[in-house]
Amino acid sequence: MRQVTGLTSTYSSDEFGICSALFELGGLVVMHDASGCNSTYTTHDEPRWYDMDSMVYISAVSEIEAIMGDDDKLIRDVVSAARELKPRFTALIGAPIPYMIGTDLPAVAGIVEEETGIPSIGFPANGMGLYTKGISMALAAVTERFAQGETGRSREPSMNVIGLTPLDFSLNGTAESIWRWAEALGFRRGACMAMGSSLDEISRAGEAHVNLVVSYGGLEAARILERRYGTPWIAGVPFGKAFAERLGQLVLEAAGTGGREMAAYRSVPRAGAAGRDPAPNPARDAARGKESPLLVVGESVYSASFAAAVELELNIPTRVLCPVDTEDVLLREGDRRTPEEDDLIEAFRGAERVAADPLFRQLVPETAEFFDLPHEAFSGRIYDRVNRNMVDVPLDGFIFGGTKAPRGKGPRG
Amino acid sequence: MNQNALKIAVYGKGGIGKSTICSALSLALAERGLKVMQIGCDPKADSTMSLRAGRRLPTVLATMRERKDDFSLEDVCLEGAGGVICVEAGGPLPGLGCAGRGIITALEKLKAKGVYGRYSPDAVIYDVLGDVVCGGFSMPMRSGFADRVYIVTSGENMSIYAAANIASAVRNFGERGYAALGGFILNRRDVENEREKVLALCGDFDSEITGELPLSEKIREAEARGKSFMELFPKSEEAECVRALSRAIFT
Repeated sequence: MRQVTGLTSTYSSDEFGICSALFELGGLVVMHDASGCNSTYTTHDEPRWYDMDSMVYISAVSEIEAIMGDDDKLIRDVVSAARELKPRFTALIGAPIPYMIGTDLPAVAGIVEEETGIPSIGFPANGMGLYTKGISMALAAVTERFAQGETGRSREPSMNVIGLTPLDFSLNGTAESIWRWAEALGFRRGACMAMGSSLDEISRAGEAHVNLVVSYGGLEAARILERRYGTPWIAGVPFGKAFAERLGQLVLEAAGTGGREMAAYRSVPRAGAAGRDPAPNPARDAARGKESPLLVVGESVYSASFAAAVELELNIPTRVLCPVDTEDVLLREGDRRTPEEDDLIEAFRGAERVAADPLFRQLVPETAEFFDLPHEAFSGRIYDRVNRNMVDVPLDGFIFGGTKAPRGKGPRG
Repeated sequence: MNQNALKIAVYGKGGIGKSTICSALSLALAERGLKVMQIGCDPKADSTMSLRAGRRLPTVLATMRERKDDFSLEDVCLEGAGGVICVEAGGPLPGLGCAGRGIITALEKLKAKGVYGRYSPDAVIYDVLGDVVCGGFSMPMRSGFADRVYIVTSGENMSIYAAANIASAVRNFGERGYAALGGFILNRRDVENEREKVLALCGDFDSEITGELPLSEKIREAEARGKSFMELFPKSEEAECVRALSRAIFT
């Protein structure tokens, strides 16, 4: 059945993607919706909530305010809170109610800005889009608004990381591992959008020599920086030794020549292609005998990078199934978008190996091997204990080291 | 898109003659060699019928419902008389769904598909349902859509009340950067003191009568024959009134 999720979960929504992307930037972030949405975000989608201050609020729009289209109440409340809290910016985020009554949040944000003098942005989210779209909207808007003005390249080579949020990368050390990898290549840390960087650092994003796009959510912001400053971008996450090296080469080349925009994994030949001669490895060679590819499910840049790493290092064929927003430029040929649960059920039919969020075990044949890749935007904190920083996990250990997920332990198990 | 394109939204009480005037205005502009796009913003989807000899066209919302995003602009933008590009936003079934939200969705979808760049019109006319009854019907006057709003009215009291209501909405939206009030179009019903009443309305909003049409048998006859009076009676006084209106709006 189309547009029905009957056996698994749903991904986080666009409004929460915006909140997550803006969480650390010092803005007054207001979801314009009925009370309750904020606790959904903070409980399930925001692991930083209890350890880090952030001004994320809900407008708690009432039934009569919605019916009457009382935008003035929202404006008064936001203006009042902004005068008291003095945020760096205000963000007004749409949700199902304002969507249905046609609230013009960009126009409302314009009035708030006029009254407070604080930069204000209205986001036409509706709660029905996916978190990927929300992150993309938020990072693009922040880049468009704040990363502007004349700037030269930094003296030392530097790199921005764009599209990094806990929704895709959790708080398991992945962010720090990516920076260590970048520093080992000789890059100074630029801005991270948006974990661990201030709005001021992001406003200087034009100084970087290259942008590393680590999720679909960072692509549009990288394109804006490319148009504005000519900064090249490369998409990929440095999983596995071989793929991390390849990604590093491409990033260094792009930073040097300033002219390459691509997803690093798109040039990785499929496993089994001519010319591939990895070193002997009994476990790997046994696995290679199987013809069925490893199906990797998740966000496109994360999953395709992981898949390419597995292919390069272990010569195991893979296919990515991407249930969330992406673009063709962020997928390899043969990878698929699978927005519907039905698409995944069909793709899993006959599968022998699947790497995905544990909640997807419900859809995978009992006979298949299942490898846990917990995804915060899908299962929240449920699998925190097995949610590992995959940049630092040796791939052969993951695939062959006995980390296969026990069957029947999912929500229905 | 044509950066100099003028985009207007036409509002007014239901049945006051908005679609008749919009279609005639489209033809008058087309006579001047302009490329015109007329977008009906009413669930009845009948704005452009007189430009297409009574034939309906697939609405944007019905097409979206059937095909999601899998359609092209050519599926919903069809040429009518005078080469006018005709589009109908459409809407939900009567008594169901949300017509206002439908207008927003349809206009956003057209914009997302690049309608203004694809056809590069010199003039865009949004023909909007009766009154600004909810957020959706203010969509055509929002930033990025119409530049000016014209309100059709007669001297009948109900028509004037509706026109005043719409003009108030336009005024209230001023701080949002929405379309400005361009003026009132008097579609005469020959009631007593008609012009004076509409001039008084104009005074309340510091506006003017941009153009006017007489009460006309020719217009009724053309409607019955499923065509615009501009096509059937191009040399009539009524057609000249619309040409004058077109010159006043699109100088």
